[in-house]
Amino acid sequence: MTKDAAIEVRHLIKNYKGVIQPAVNNISFTIEKGEIWGLLGPNGAGKTTTISILCGLLKSDGGEVIIHGYRHDSNSHAIKQIISMVPQDIALYPSLTAFENLHYIGNMYGMQGKILKDRIHECLNAFGLENFANKPVENFSGGMKRRINLIAGILHKPQIVFMDEPTVGVDVQSRNMITGFLKELNGQGITIVYTSHLLEEAQNLCSHIAIIDYGTMIASGTPAELIHQHACANLEEVFLKLTGRKLRD
Amino acid sequence: MLRLIATIRKEILLLKRDRSGLAIMFLMPMILVTIMALIQDAPFRDYQELKIPLLLINHDEGDVGKKIEQGLITSKIFEVTNFNGTEKEARRKVANGDFEIGIIVPGDASEKLNARIDQFVEETLHSLELPVNDSIEKVHGPSETTIPVFFAPDIKKSFKNSVLSSIMHVSSRLETQSILNEFKSVLNEGEKDTTSEEIKDFIRFKESESGNTVVLHELNSVQHNVPAWTLFGMFFIVISLAGSMIKERTDGSYLRIRTMPGSYLTVMAGKMIAYLLVCLSQCVLMILTGIYLLPLLGLPQLVIGNNIPAIGLVATCCGLAATGYGILVGTLFNTHQQSATFGSVSVVILAALGGIWVPVYVMPEIIRILATYSPLYWGLQAFQSLFLSTGNATDILFPSLKLLLFFLITLSIAYFINKYKNN
Repeated sequence: MTKDAAIEVRHLIKNYKGVIQPAVNNISFTIEKGEIWGLLGPNGAGKTTTISILCGLLKSDGGEVIIHGYRHDSNSHAIKQIISMVPQDIALYPSLTAFENLHYIGNMYGMQGKILKDRIHECLNAFGLENFANKPVENFSGGMKRRINLIAGILHKPQIVFMDEPTVGVDVQSRNMITGFLKELNGQGITIVYTSHLLEEAQNLCSHIAIIDYGTMIASGTPAELIHQHACANLEEVFLKLTGRKLRD
Repeated sequence: MLRLIATIRKEILLLKRDRSGLAIMFLMPMILVTIMALIQDAPFRDYQELKIPLLLINHDEGDVGKKIEQGLITSKIFEVTNFNGTEKEARRKVANGDFEIGIIVPGDASEKLNARIDQFVEETLHSLELPVNDSIEKVHGPSETTIPVFFAPDIKKSFKNSVLSSIMHVSSRLETQSILNEFKSVLNEGEKDTTSEEIKDFIRFKESESGNTVVLHELNSVQHNVPAWTLFGMFFIVISLAGSMIKERTDGSYLRIRTMPGSYLTVMAGKMIAYLLVCLSQCVLMILTGIYLLPLLGLPQLVIGNNIPAIGLVATCCGLAATGYGILVGTLFNTHQQSATFGSVSVVILAALGGIWVPVYVMPEIIRILATYSPLYWGLQAFQSLFLSTGNATDILFPSLKLLLFFLITLSIAYFINKYKNN
């Protein structure tokens, strides 16, 4: 593992029972510390499976994953302390207030007392939700829910954040705020692993892009490198050129 | 520990905010226990307290009529009303349901019985080659006395049989006493022994306690329904618990929790403890309902005995069994609709088998056998042994252990299903 690698994946394989084609087929990559690393691919390409293995939600059938120097299969507790996952769905309890949701999540990471309360208010303030701390999340707009969802992922100051389409279904203002915050977070040295179908957003946000299809990595590089390498005008053209125009299930 | 406490607090907050869930968990069992106790009060009294209204027409002026009446009264089963009207009127009253039973003692009942006894005594003495008293009259023709007994039309056959058996008991006792009197009279050369009126039964049956348990209270509607519906309410948390688990899975919270440090078992333990507290609160609420609310509605007051720690132990075991089952249902199914349907139907079936609606002893034999496999039955047995009797350690230990075993088995199955699903 290189000194500056946040995540190193070697020959990762994952098969699902009853499916002939591997969901992840011998892929290897390295994510440097402080990168915004975009994982792109059509539906069913293997993005979610890959992220799930990196987060410890799924066991791989082969290969090796090393996160911040910790081998994945034997140091899951240490890894869980430094990573975080922001799911695509609003993974919060709707009937609880924003503060109650964040307090519970903070407790689950071992945070408590004044440190936790201060951190919750700091994050709510940063996302413009300070005045909504004691309102149930079910009364929030879609954009506000996404922002709270994001705060829940960064509350314990993780070193690596996995984000599954963090801006899906939000208005332009909320998206702008979220992407701005992700850049700010990245500026603090936090590594972000990001998946999205919004290729323009990925092109602007990510320092490195990997495109995966049928469980295999088919392209990897900076957005500029990929566009240049495939002689396209933008990342969307590269994506379509590599994955085809056929509809996926 | 922080994760455990945080999870318990979160679950309690979620339950507090879920008003319909709270109504299902607390209000529904309270309403059910009140309604069912009121509905079943009369049948329970019928079995144990109420006397059967009986209409008696006594045409006999001899001893038989008097003794039948006396026997029916002293049996304490019947509420005897003497009727001076015609047989037709008596039959109409019984047919109308004013009385459950009608009995007509014919005018020649004493005469026929005495003649029959005389004949029996003569034949017996003759067979023993003893001198026969000349005063004994020879009986010619049939001497059997037929006493018509008729029932209200809605009376069940089993009830008729038990009533006829009680009347036969009265009648045979009368016959035996008369025969003995006659023997004494003959053997003492005509002098009737006054003590013969006081002849007692040689064999008496006395209700005694089974095992080492001492029965303190009779089973009545309240004593049956309060523990029964408490258990039903406890097991009905399955719907809420399973629904909460499925919701966490579908909205991504489950994924988020699994990426957090620590074991997922801690999170599940927090959930279980929160729902166990709900079960224990339900139990306290239902007991208070039985003690304070139901008597206001004219029902008997619930008696719970003195062994409060044992009641707590049984309630905890029942609560654990219910949460274990809820976790299994929540793990097994993927949608809230599936879990709610299966959860509610299965709890209703287990409740029916377990004797929640009606006591198991009135059920057919096959159901009585099946009942022994229902965790609600085990819980009910344990509660009733504590509420109705002195319920020693064995009485509650065995059902409690079965409930704990049920909890461990359901939890283990849920664990393996969850493991399978996650891979």
